[in-house]
Amino acid sequence: MTELVRMMGIDKHFPGVHALKSVQFDLVSGEVHALMGENGAGKSTLMKVMSGIYQPDGGSISVAGKTVTINGPRAAQDLGIGIIHQELALMNDLTVAQNIFIGREPRLRFGRLDEASLNAQAEAIFAAMKVRIDPRAEVRSLSVAKQQMVEIAKALSFKSSILIMDEPTAALNDAETNELFTIIRQLKSEGVGVVYISHKMDEIKRISDRVTVMRDGAYIGTVQAKDTPINTIISMMVGRELEAVHVEIPDLSNAPMALEVKGLNRGRLVRNVSFTLKQGEILGFAGLMGAGRTEVARAIFGADKRESGEILVHGKPTQIRTPKDAVAAGIGYLSEDRKHFGLALGLDLRDNIAMASLPRFGNSFGVIDDAKLGATADGYIKTLSIRTPSARQELRLLSGGNQQKVVIAKWLLRDCDILIFDEPTRGIDVGAKAEIYKLLQSLAAQGKAVIVISAELPEVLRLSHRIAVMCEGRLTGILPGGPATSQEEIMHLATLRTDEPTGAIA
Amino acid sequence: MMNRRTLFAAVSAAALLASTGFVAAQDKPYIALISKGFQHQFWQAVKAGADKAAAEFDVTVTFEGPDTEAQVDKQMDMLAAALAKNPAAIGFAALDSQAAIPMLRKAQEAGIPIVAFDSGVDSDIPVATATTDNAAAAGLAADKMAELIGDAGKVALVVHDQTSRTGIDRRDGFVNRIKESHPNIEIVDIQYGAGDQLQSTEITKAILTAHPDLKGIFGANEGSAIGVLNAIKETGRSEVIVIGYDSGAAQKAAIMDGSMAGAITQNPVGIGYETVKAALMASKGESVPKLIDTGFFWYDKTNMDAPEIAAVLYD
Amino acid sequence: MTTAPALSAKAKPKANGAQQKLWAFASLIVLLLFFSVASPNFMQTSNILAILQATSVNGVLAIAATLVIITGGIDLSVGTLMTFTAVIAGVVLTYAGLPFAVGVVAAVAAGAGCGLISGTLVAKMKVPPFIATLGMMLILKGLSLVISGTKPIYFNDTPGFDQISTGSFVGAIIPAVPLPNGVLILFLLALAIGYVLNRTVLGRYCFALGSNEEAVRLSGVNADGWKMAIYALAGGICGIAGLIIASRLNSAQPALGLGYELDAIAAVVIGGTSLAGGRGSVLGTIIGALIMSVLLNGLRIMSVAQEWQTVVTGSIIIIAVYADMMRRRRLS
Repeated sequence: MTELVRMMGIDKHFPGVHALKSVQFDLVSGEVHALMGENGAGKSTLMKVMSGIYQPDGGSISVAGKTVTINGPRAAQDLGIGIIHQELALMNDLTVAQNIFIGREPRLRFGRLDEASLNAQAEAIFAAMKVRIDPRAEVRSLSVAKQQMVEIAKALSFKSSILIMDEPTAALNDAETNELFTIIRQLKSEGVGVVYISHKMDEIKRISDRVTVMRDGAYIGTVQAKDTPINTIISMMVGRELEAVHVEIPDLSNAPMALEVKGLNRGRLVRNVSFTLKQGEILGFAGLMGAGRTEVARAIFGADKRESGEILVHGKPTQIRTPKDAVAAGIGYLSEDRKHFGLALGLDLRDNIAMASLPRFGNSFGVIDDAKLGATADGYIKTLSIRTPSARQELRLLSGGNQQKVVIAKWLLRDCDILIFDEPTRGIDVGAKAEIYKLLQSLAAQGKAVIVISAELPEVLRLSHRIAVMCEGRLTGILPGGPATSQEEIMHLATLRTDEPTGAIA
Repeated sequence: MMNRRTLFAAVSAAALLASTGFVAAQDKPYIALISKGFQHQFWQAVKAGADKAAAEFDVTVTFEGPDTEAQVDKQMDMLAAALAKNPAAIGFAALDSQAAIPMLRKAQEAGIPIVAFDSGVDSDIPVATATTDNAAAAGLAADKMAELIGDAGKVALVVHDQTSRTGIDRRDGFVNRIKESHPNIEIVDIQYGAGDQLQSTEITKAILTAHPDLKGIFGANEGSAIGVLNAIKETGRSEVIVIGYDSGAAQKAAIMDGSMAGAITQNPVGIGYETVKAALMASKGESVPKLIDTGFFWYDKTNMDAPEIAAVLYD
Repeated sequence: MTTAPALSAKAKPKANGAQQKLWAFASLIVLLLFFSVASPNFMQTSNILAILQATSVNGVLAIAATLVIITGGIDLSVGTLMTFTAVIAGVVLTYAGLPFAVGVVAAVAAGAGCGLISGTLVAKMKVPPFIATLGMMLILKGLSLVISGTKPIYFNDTPGFDQISTGSFVGAIIPAVPLPNGVLILFLLALAIGYVLNRTVLGRYCFALGSNEEAVRLSGVNADGWKMAIYALAGGICGIAGLIIASRLNSAQPALGLGYELDAIAAVVIGGTSLAGGRGSVLGTIIGALIMSVLLNGLRIMSVAQEWQTVVTGSIIIIAVYADMMRRRRLS
């Protein structure tokens, strides 16, 4: 095994932040080296240094034994370093092949493009990856998983010997993740070194050889993945041992009904969905990607028009045609994409908390009572333990977990007693996850009715009092929460298709 | 792209609008007037004169002009569309004489007589020109200014633009008369406000600030004059004598309440009327005078209500 | 690796694009048919040529605007830049008396130079395109007046200058089709820029920048440099528009140009180019520009009162863009 990269004593300052404190990292050929740490630990920054996007303030980098300066993405590419960014860096309006070869288009004379060769080369890469993607398809038309594959193909097209993957499975389902791992193993066998950033412990165990942990911009240590228990890695990440958890399921037999959904239909992904939810209950929604969980939530919330179905809130039939109706009925929806739908990142914390309830803070002339607003925001900062210097902090400067808490505060302030959480811990690090879980449980204990949609089964199992499982738009079953239910049972329901296709055609 | 049905609906609506203003036009002679502008009160008064003549002589008249007096090419497009309708005659107020000549020649070849109005066309193509002598009119304004400020002191000009014929003629007419006949008067500033009231207001305020001892300002068209008045009102410098050009409700009111000393009026209604009349005569092969001077007048509080003045003022 | 799937896959996006252009073209045809029925004066050769003539300047400006809009930017300076280049041609040809070709090159070069300045402001100094080109719009308006001495510059001493726009190269070969050269230039330019957009590296980056600029940067492409090149190309095209309008008016009119940028942007938008960037076509823009001038000419021929002409034009812009959005939504 030859050494591909060695980074020594890397230092990086941003205004007001010491992002990397003398960090070291190395990668040898044919290994998957996982880089772990909570959000803000400095993993992405370190990888941006390696791929030439940031310039380090101190330290040295050597590639294949030679000290180098990587002064831009181009230089990194020339050294055989490819990176797949966490936020997909694709151009939606261009085709797959055009994306892969952006900046290196095969050219004819006079700057003309050789489109045929472009597509052929892309096709060759996909053939080697054993992935079926049409190089001429517009990237916009692909699923997130396919887009991920395009990113990988792009990195491979550089003949990269070093491949950095920043949370590549964040949006992939299990089957897609398996596909990705097959490709990673193949790359390994060809001698490529892979840097793998992920929050998912099971993945780390499955795919990586070594694990390096970072915390608060500092290097903590490197361990062999195979012989190190997960809890050790987690404690390295958070700096403390995690307590074991068990689900406490309250007795809700006398609790009043909060929400009843009968025969809900919308399109292909919501088909005759009926369920009930009691006050104080946490109902988990499990299922594979594209099973229709988010679509059910959106239909209930009035964000998408439903074709048929009845919604009863606190026992009364309620007409919900728009999100405004839903909010008026006390239903809050916390979307999976906080940045796009839930929050105004450029505004400060208190304005975000008040956004849905602003008229309440205005007098009859619409002038806002700042003192009252501030006091309310401070109250939520305390009760939800949002970590922020002040209520005046701009939201984009908060971590994902704290942003999630702000969304929760926003809906609590709006007097919502039915809260639908769509992927509440996506992109949130391990420590903050536990806090969000605690928060959801305490909300339920206060009598709020909670729906949690999650693609991560352990999360569903850990939180839910009951578990609703969906497959292809249908509710295939509702299981009890707690230790009575196993992941296998859920997976069975999640793959329970009505019309089983005959034969082995996928 | 566009949905066929919605497009058709929209165009049908347009056709409907068109037909309301265009009833049984077939048999009457058709005269197209292409003006230099459309939305200013002055041009609307020209249009009113043209419509009056249309009713009197039983002809169909259309009246069009570009949004600003800089849009020479848009005026060409309007002229081209007018030619396509094969009119009996065309009335034309050129924004740029030279630029228009190829198009006018085409009309001439097609046997369509051209009557120039407002400002002339530097060419022998037009059979007649109905216009105001702008330089002489501005000269009269200069004389009145001298009279009102005691034939000495500082004055300034706010002009609509420095490229159009009327802008140049009125500016030069005023400046030359001051130089020739009123040596004790100093012209301290000439600024251009595109005939835009707001721009002219700002310009005037700057001039007033720069020259605390300014005695008078000449606003060379309606928009400029109103801008000057606004600035006087905002700064409270009511001692400054204001002379305007053209009429309109605002200038008339200002003259009534004394904030404007007086103004030069052209005869826009007469311009429109004479243009259509001459065009009709030319289309019938009758001879028309080469130059139709539509005249100009000084008006102030004392003579505004006199019938011959009231007739040429517009709101 | 087989080529069979390649061929079959190729057909799909092409069919989509063709369908879209067919729609745009169909709308134009409907307009033409409508006005032909509404007025016998509409469908005559001289009037069709007048419509094309009226499209030439706006069409060329709209092509320039298309390039910038595809990158996700906006160029408000196209109108006054056109005027500025016309004035430059006037200075070179009439004031300095230099040869014809020098004037042409000077106008295009001045346009490209100003475009490069806008591009530098946007790409390197990160001034938002709206602001940078708004500034340029005013600067160029002022400079046009300063350089020309606030007077129109006439090209009477440059024989043949009026041929750029009003002469007819096609008519000299086929007397039945006296297509003005200005229109010929528009069509040739449209073909050329269409080719550049779809078949060259510059065009590819144009779409890529509008689609996801950060991704272009992260791919190791000199994003700023290409963006500057695109603004410069757009500026050069404005120089061509400047020559066409100067030739048509046989003069450089220094006060003209303000407001032309909005007509150009309207044509681009009617033509289906997204103001958000990443999508668009020159063919669509040309059809958009034609729709605008056909509409205006037709309404004039029908003697629709001028105040209503603008009402109808404004409505058509909204209807066109709305219909396009609806159609896209149905497709997706």
